[in-house]
Amino acid sequence: MSYIFKEGKFKILSLFPLFLLFFISLNGNAIIDFKFFSINILYIVVYFWVLRKPESLGYGFIFLAGIISDVVIGFPLGINALSLLIVAGVAAYIRVLTVRVTLLTDWISFIPALLVANLIYFLSLYSLNYEIDYFYFLTNSIFTFIFYPILWGVFSIILNLYK
Amino acid sequence: MNTQRDDVGIAIRSALLVKGTKQKFSLLVLVLLSILLIFIDSLDIKKFKHIRSFIKDTIYRGSVIVSAPSRTFAYFKDNATEHFDIYRSYQALKEQNQAMKNNIVNSDFLKLENKQLKQLINDEANLPTTLISARVMLDKQSPYLNSFIINVGGNKKVKNGMAVLHNENFIGRIVDVNFFSSRVLLITDLNSKIPIIVEPSARHAILSGHGSNLPTLEYLPEVHGIKDGDKVYTSGREGIFSTGIAIGEAKIEKNIIKVLLFSDFDQITFVNIDLRERKNNK
Repeated sequence: MSYIFKEGKFKILSLFPLFLLFFISLNGNAIIDFKFFSINILYIVVYFWVLRKPESLGYGFIFLAGIISDVVIGFPLGINALSLLIVAGVAAYIRVLTVRVTLLTDWISFIPALLVANLIYFLSLYSLNYEIDYFYFLTNSIFTFIFYPILWGVFSIILNLYK
Repeated sequence: MNTQRDDVGIAIRSALLVKGTKQKFSLLVLVLLSILLIFIDSLDIKKFKHIRSFIKDTIYRGSVIVSAPSRTFAYFKDNATEHFDIYRSYQALKEQNQAMKNNIVNSDFLKLENKQLKQLINDEANLPTTLISARVMLDKQSPYLNSFIINVGGNKKVKNGMAVLHNENFIGRIVDVNFFSSRVLLITDLNSKIPIIVEPSARHAILSGHGSNLPTLEYLPEVHGIKDGDKVYTSGREGIFSTGIAIGEAKIEKNIIKVLLFSDFDQITFVNIDLRERKNNK
């Protein structure tokens, strides 16, 4: 009985990142807008789970979530998918390079992920003649970076429940 | 030095090219697929349009279901806020009523203005048969795109560029049409530029959206004579929209003419679409 319970718990927990990813995408809440700032929660979710538990978040699902996000937000298909895959790519690269994972290494390595992904995002929108609020874009990137440790803590607690 | 370069190469290879544990797709393949999708989406290929419409319709339906709990929560929150605001609104309405009573004196001016506007508006603007109603399916407040999804599309002969009205006020235009849904780009969006006319000064200008801030009037001469409270209507120039659809009223702040919109975009549930095809919005 306890084995079945443990297996069930493990199964549910292992589906958590996937569920979260698609819930955020379908809900159109990739960017959570507070009064004075906003954060891109989808970037954090993808970065954390690809870095820490890649088997629970396949690249195919990330691609699909990006496409859904594009449709819900109203951008041309592929823009969010591309930037999320870039975040996943940087996370995968960092995972290969680092031996011991700490918040600090995760957090610092999140900077290039954000920079590259946002650059691609910006270039894609710019090349398709989409006008965007650059200041908003900048503050969003900064606050996504600042908020990373908070979500890192939350996700780490969930990750520890696996064990 | 060489060993270092090898390490980086191996890391990049294993991160991007090799399919990792339980990964069914290589990251590089998916990145290339995304780029291909962006490229195809930017081209206006008819065959792809059908597939895209089907994908979008399906995702919108899914999104409506998934966002049901948050919508319900928002509904209850709004209701609670509304109740708390009742007394405040009552006071405001009382003051407003008093002000309106005072303004009745100005009704002659309004009658004159109305006469001028009636002359301005083409007869066709009053034809109700060209309007169809639609319900707002999804209203995701994206910071980058002020738009929402409505539940009519190609099935009701909706086309790109058609004007969208809330009651009788202009709120935006159709920018993306699927089989059973369409996207409405609101006039507050950064990408929205609408030709308008300001009354009673009869000045033509472009109404430009600024995201979360109020839209402003651009391309006006230095001396324009526009005052606070002047009404803003679609001008019908370039044959994009019908003439004389009300948008809002002017409010001058620091030499910038902002437009206070007649419609509250947070309160829109049903909209009307003007099905008349203008010469430039085919």
